Amino acid sequence: MAAASVIARRGKADACAAAITAHYGVTLPTGPRRAASGDVVFAGVGPWRWIATAEGADAAEFVAQLRERLVFVAAVTDQSDARLVVRLRGPRVRDVLAKGVPVDLHPRAFKAGDVATTLVAHIGVQIDMLDDGPTYLIAAPRSMAGSFWSWLTASAAEFGYDVSRS
Amino acid sequence: MRINCPYCGPRGNEEFAYLGDATVRRPDPAAEDAAAQFYEYVYLRDNPAGSHRELWYHGGGCRSWLVVTRNIRTHEISDVAFADAGDKP
Ligand SMILES: [Zn+2]
Repeated sequence: MAAASVIARRGKADACAAAITAHYGVTLPTGPRRAASGDVVFAGVGPWRWIATAEGADAAEFVAQLRERLVFVAAVTDQSDARLVVRLRGPRVRDVLAKGVPVDLHPRAFKAGDVATTLVAHIGVQIDMLDDGPTYLIAAPRSMAGSFWSWLTASAAEFGYDVSRS
Repeated sequence: MRINCPYCGPRGNEEFAYLGDATVRRPDPAAEDAAAQFYEYVYLRDNPAGSHRELWYHGGGCRSWLVVTRNIRTHEISDVAFADAGDKP
């Protein structure tokens, strides 16, 4: 998945938001939420910091275009090869995640469109809730992929799971 | 202990790193009495039995620097704010 961090430059937060709205047709979230337009998503991961992703896009092309569109208003850094991204779905997903995610994922507390950056088994992750399926997207650093996978599969083992490539 | 991050919401303290007293400011090394000021800054710290303003870094979350007002006796947290006041860049 093509991914880049976007950090608004000093004094350019409004210009950055305006440029993103003009080019991608989304309103940049100011908190830990995601805003999507087609396959392009901007997820809030910190104050005036976002992770932009595009599913199915050519990573180098997506990032180069994003950098060009946000020139002078944001620092854009390619993260495409830095992350392992898994999509989790199923009726027991919350039970699996509860074994390691310290954030409250109860539907009252964490809703579709919400984003959290937190630690799972000491690994820094970004969790997006996509829909009430429930479906979650979890991104972990690629260098920690083995550790994250071992936590995930051990946690899911008692419920049973299938793995497929997307 | 849980800290209510103004960006992320309430999180456990394992996501944060304590980074010291938020009430002191590093002196200007070019000042004439810099040595005396640094002595005060480095060694003569207050240790109040009660409310204290301290810096915490949310490294396991949004990576913000925060100023946490915490009662050192009870660990009760009365206020959490962005160290940079959440200023829009
Ligand atoms: Zn935070």
